[in-house]
Amino acid sequence: METKSYNPFLTAQQQFDHAADLLELDETTRELLRTPMREYHFNIPVRMDNGTKKIFRGFRIQHNDARGPAKGGVRFHPLETIDTVRALSMWMTWKTAVADIPLGGGKGGVICDPHHLSSSEQEQLCRGWVRQVARNVGPNLDIPAPDVMTNAQHMLWMLDEYETIMGGHYPGFITGKPVGLGGSLGRKEATGYGTMITVREALNELDVSCANTIASIQGFGNVARYAIELYQKMGGKVICVSSWDNEEQKSYSFRKKDGIKLEELNSIRDVFGGIEKSKAQDLGYEVLKGEEWLEQEVDILVPAALENQITLDNAENVHKRVKIIAEGANGPTTPDADKILDKKDLMIIPDFLANAGGVICSYFEQVQSNMNYFWEKDEVLGKLDVRMTSAYAAVSDFAHSNQLNMRDAAYVISIDKVAMACHDRGWV
Amino acid sequence: MGKDNYVKKVIDDLKERAKELKCLYKVQELLHSKDLSQDDTFQGIIDAIAPGWQYSEICQPRIIIRDKEYHSDDFEESKWSLSSDILVQDEKIGIVSVYYMNERPLADEGPFLKEERKLIDSIAEQIGSYFFHERLKLVFEKETRFQKEQKSEWGVVLEMLKRTDPKLLVRISRKMVNYLGWSGIKEAEGLFEHFSPIYKDKEELFKDDNKPYQRIPETDLLGISEEIFEVAGKYLSSKDILDNIHKWMKQDRSGFLSNVLENTGSSLIEISGAIERFHHLAPQGLELSTPREKNFRVALIRRILSDQPGFIHIAKKFVGIEDFNKLIQQVIFPVGSHGKLGGKSAGLIVSKKILEKSAAREPLLDKIKTPKTWYLTSDGILSFMVHNNLEDILEQKYKDIGQVRKEYPYVIHVFKNSSFAPEIVKGLSLALDDFGEVPLIVRSSSLLEDRLGTAFAGKYKSLFIANKGSKKDRILELMDAISEVYASTFGPDPIEYRTERGLLDYHEEMGILIQEVVGTKVGKYFFPAFAGVAFSRNEFRWSSRLKQQDGLIRMVPGLGTRAVDRLSNDYPILIAPGQPGLRVNVTLDEIVRYSPKSVDVINLESGSFETIKIDDVLKEAGRDFPSLSLVLSLLTEDHIQPTRKLGMDFKKDNFVVTFDGLINQTDFVSKIHAILNVLEREYDYPVDIEFAHDGKDLYLLQCRSQSHQEESNPAIIPSNLSPDEMIFTGSKYISNGIIPNISHIVYVDPQKYSELSDYDDLKVIGKAVGRLNMILPKRQFILMGPGRWGSRGDIKLGVSVSYSEINNTSMLIEIARKQKEYVPELSFGTHFFLDLVEANIRYLPLYPDDHNTVFDEEFFLGSNNVLGDLLPDMKYMSDVIRVIDVPNTTGGKLLHVLMNADDRKAIAHLAPLSESEESEGIVKMKVKESKRNDIHWRWRLRIAENIAAKLDPSRFGVVGFYIFGSTKNATAGPGSDIDLLIHLRGSKDQEKDLRTWLEGWSQSLSQTNYFRTGFKLDCLLDVHFVTDEDIEKRTSYAVKIGAITDAARPLPVGTEIKKKDCW
Repeated sequence: METKSYNPFLTAQQQFDHAADLLELDETTRELLRTPMREYHFNIPVRMDNGTKKIFRGFRIQHNDARGPAKGGVRFHPLETIDTVRALSMWMTWKTAVADIPLGGGKGGVICDPHHLSSSEQEQLCRGWVRQVARNVGPNLDIPAPDVMTNAQHMLWMLDEYETIMGGHYPGFITGKPVGLGGSLGRKEATGYGTMITVREALNELDVSCANTIASIQGFGNVARYAIELYQKMGGKVICVSSWDNEEQKSYSFRKKDGIKLEELNSIRDVFGGIEKSKAQDLGYEVLKGEEWLEQEVDILVPAALENQITLDNAENVHKRVKIIAEGANGPTTPDADKILDKKDLMIIPDFLANAGGVICSYFEQVQSNMNYFWEKDEVLGKLDVRMTSAYAAVSDFAHSNQLNMRDAAYVISIDKVAMACHDRGWV
Repeated sequence: MGKDNYVKKVIDDLKERAKELKCLYKVQELLHSKDLSQDDTFQGIIDAIAPGWQYSEICQPRIIIRDKEYHSDDFEESKWSLSSDILVQDEKIGIVSVYYMNERPLADEGPFLKEERKLIDSIAEQIGSYFFHERLKLVFEKETRFQKEQKSEWGVVLEMLKRTDPKLLVRISRKMVNYLGWSGIKEAEGLFEHFSPIYKDKEELFKDDNKPYQRIPETDLLGISEEIFEVAGKYLSSKDILDNIHKWMKQDRSGFLSNVLENTGSSLIEISGAIERFHHLAPQGLELSTPREKNFRVALIRRILSDQPGFIHIAKKFVGIEDFNKLIQQVIFPVGSHGKLGGKSAGLIVSKKILEKSAAREPLLDKIKTPKTWYLTSDGILSFMVHNNLEDILEQKYKDIGQVRKEYPYVIHVFKNSSFAPEIVKGLSLALDDFGEVPLIVRSSSLLEDRLGTAFAGKYKSLFIANKGSKKDRILELMDAISEVYASTFGPDPIEYRTERGLLDYHEEMGILIQEVVGTKVGKYFFPAFAGVAFSRNEFRWSSRLKQQDGLIRMVPGLGTRAVDRLSNDYPILIAPGQPGLRVNVTLDEIVRYSPKSVDVINLESGSFETIKIDDVLKEAGRDFPSLSLVLSLLTEDHIQPTRKLGMDFKKDNFVVTFDGLINQTDFVSKIHAILNVLEREYDYPVDIEFAHDGKDLYLLQCRSQSHQEESNPAIIPSNLSPDEMIFTGSKYISNGIIPNISHIVYVDPQKYSELSDYDDLKVIGKAVGRLNMILPKRQFILMGPGRWGSRGDIKLGVSVSYSEINNTSMLIEIARKQKEYVPELSFGTHFFLDLVEANIRYLPLYPDDHNTVFDEEFFLGSNNVLGDLLPDMKYMSDVIRVIDVPNTTGGKLLHVLMNADDRKAIAHLAPLSESEESEGIVKMKVKESKRNDIHWRWRLRIAENIAAKLDPSRFGVVGFYIFGSTKNATAGPGSDIDLLIHLRGSKDQEKDLRTWLEGWSQSLSQTNYFRTGFKLDCLLDVHFVTDEDIEKRTSYAVKIGAITDAARPLPVGTEIKKKDCW
């Protein structure tokens, strides 16, 4: 039976082709960038707790490392396909390029479901994965990171195995480590702060003072909370946040027209950012339907929760006052919704750029690890500001000079940077 | 030689032989003569020997025996002699010799004849025999003397008994007769008749004399006993007799226990007294034969623990008589009590003994404790009611359930204001003194609770009490709790439960356990470090690698109430003791999100049971949180670490309950696994236990047979189905259950679904399923589709639905089709799946590409798809979502899914809904379903018909009145509403009036429904209005009118109004 299942790699290639057309890239460059530079496919034998052996299938794809060592996560996913990993590695190449950090793009994974594996089996899997690729990854080659269903613990197992094989300490081999064991300070702030740095720059361009703006935020997790923190420091006023109610399995929006107070909401939230509805009411918040965060009369919308939140169905509900939508989350706007928003007089700071704070901070972690010297938080956040600001400026300039929207501009500029690097190295 | 000479020679020879024989006879005669002394005998022999010799005149005999010598006075030795040694058992004890005084012609041996040699040897031999016999005689005499002494000893005993305890003598005599009889001694048979007149004459048996048999007077019996022992003396050794008498006398001393136990009329106080007496007598040598000991044990188990044969069979192997002595001292019972301890207590006592006895083989079972417990017997409740003249409440169970519900608060009130009999109060006071001021739990332990298969889980109350303050306050608090537990016997829930299971007529009594709460004091709170329930069979397997026998632990910090009950907003930690490494929650997000957030505690200050946030306890207690390092982990930004001894800030740091320390650093999980294994093995059925841990010791709180949900009995899979008759089969991860009479299938085609690339399209599928969930007949449709339904992650993994979008389905089937090189693993681990289990939505994974698997894809793809008719706007998704109206497609047949975990088999087949259903499983289910649901939907239908009949169509502008949903489909349960569809063609005012009119109905019906069922609904009527325009456009509920499938049913309107008009 012929299968026509959705193939993310084909989609990624189509997107690339579109940008390549705009850039009028030559065939050789296209050929180089349409497919990964290197792919490693391997088996990982694992001795299971009950003594039996099981073979897992693992991958590491290095899409492009013209601008620096490949960088990207390691995913544990039961429905992993090689094309998904290819698409994601290509995405990482563009992402590091748009953030203008000297890294390339990679991705890896193992076909497995950790729900069916014990902790020690997962450890064996991590170590097995490293044993298979140790010679092809490393601080100067390819730097793995946590991803779907992997976390700091997995990273430490992988690092330990790598250092055992290499006979030395190489904290720069991997990122996503806990602070104190090669991790960087400022990581939890990085994405949210980064998002608001791009908002600040956008407002500068619009010549609007941050203090005169109001915003509505979707979500109250790490990204949203630190976005709010920085935005309020910059003088902005957040009047609405939405959050997921774990008990009722639905979301609510919480509104306070004279501005929400971060500390008081922090005191009534759980670790996931779920806000206790009744307590919020007691504190004078209006409790609205989950999707109403989007409909507020504000200047700035920050979707900082899940993907596919602004859709064909609700894009029209975005208030005409909105000037900026900053995508703190990954892929919060569907392509259909994008088309509707395109017609409105507003600017979208694409996820690509708006949440680049995360990958920049990973880069900082690697840099600090390589020199085995770790910065204070202020230093990390200061450097983040510089990076984000210049990344925003580059995309924005490119958009203006080429009459592109920000999303297209971000995408095209990143491909342009990679293509130039390949060219300058004499590959194409 | 001449003839005469020859004759003379013969005659001489003969004379010689005669002389020899005469000699020999004489010697023999002398040796056997009893009257002679030994000296006389041998002196006589000396005289008798010489005549036997040829030359007797010169013959001088001599006999030497040891140091004695016998001969004639003039004896002298000479050189002509003949001798023979005297031997006794080869030992030479002497010598016989004869001497000739003078020389004689030579013969065979010197002057002696060869016959003389024989003669002397014979004499020597005779003398040897004589001495051998003498020696034996001594031994015999000694033996005989001893025997005579023995006989007199048992004779003395009997004599003594005769004078002091003639009744005992009679009993012992009776036993001797039996003993003789069993030993096969014929003579004893005649003795039987002394004890039973019936035996006297068999003919008499058949006579009907109408007069009583004659009793034998006691004095006669004493005479008879002499007769008996005379017979015994003949056939048995004295030792045998004496030993038996000893044994029987000892056994006779335990007779009082036998009398008390075998007498069904004896009360608990008598039993208690007897056990105590037995206990005191035991050290003085109370001998019990094995059968008798066993008989006692069983009798005690039957009287005190349970009379269920299955239970006794197990209990008797583990519970000894001495155990009851300890137990009975902590049992409180009313005067004249015949009660038992009830199911929960009995289960706990026996389980504890099982663990104790098994600890020898399995060291893990060592030192598993049970909390200190006092018991109140099951008939305590009856005495309580009699004491307060509340007997009429016993009739409660035969009242209408609505009335029971209505009167229940009153029953509680009355019970709580009643008093206990003085002996109970005294008992409770003793118990409180024994416990001291520690928190207690008062638990129900009813007789019905120990019946296999009727779990009664949570049907009766268990109450915590703080037990602090003055003795008077404490005892009042305790009595208050007991009366509340008593009252719960008459609550609507247990009565309904009993009605459903045909147990209403069973005589229910309520025993009480008063148990020390396991735990420690933490600030003002009291709670165990952790507690929970564990099941020997895991019916909740979240990973395909788990097996049923891996078991399941549900545990929480604090009191176990949060692990026993299902909570909507908090989660217990689940562990499969067989494979503790396989956890439900794997990612950091899951581990934190689904960890327990609150604890149940006893507040010692307020004396109340409270639920508080773990974070709050931690802030107050800090390191004093019990077993901190075993229960909690430290949550850093993206990492979970063990708690540390120093350097933690309990006000700032985040903690999460993981039990990682407990699982990884202690043998707790192995211990629970061992407990479950041993208990399941000994009981021979799956068990569930409750446990608690105070940081030091593990306590077993309860053990009973693992409760199955009604619907999860294994189905009987018919063997005669051919593959053509089956729609699909499954063979992996099968649970038990029967899902009969499925009328609709919603099938999301895995192939087409995987071809969707657009996110919005994928999302639409989930939404469409959610809408179908609302309009298809409740619990009569199943959902089938690819991969993981409701996954929080990637939508491609499976149809994106939330629980509320599928809550009306009866079954969710995940299809794992091979994709390129691998088969996706279906997730059992999601909490979505756990939600299904809790809501009793059955789950089944299908692997259509496996061998020997039936998957009739043709049926799913080829049957008529009614999606477009149900949701016209979704018609464009018809190739992805297929809705099959089963009876319409199959000519009236319905789909039935039968699942049997033991056989690892699940099948779905088409069959009519008829009485002649071949599968027994389905029939059984149908009966149960119809019995249960009948009342609810029939009542609702009657109501709806009634409303329609009373509704004035012209007043409200009504042109059509329809019912749909569960009432129409006869599936309505006690919590269902009545779905009405009203077609309006009137003004806004008329609609408003109608709403008000129906509102009144709705509220009063809700109240009535509450009394009938206990379900609180805001509005019983769920009314939807449709207009002509709706019907034309087929919008909203208008599609139900004249729908292709599951159409709304019209009801006649205003019939009662018209009648009035006629008058």
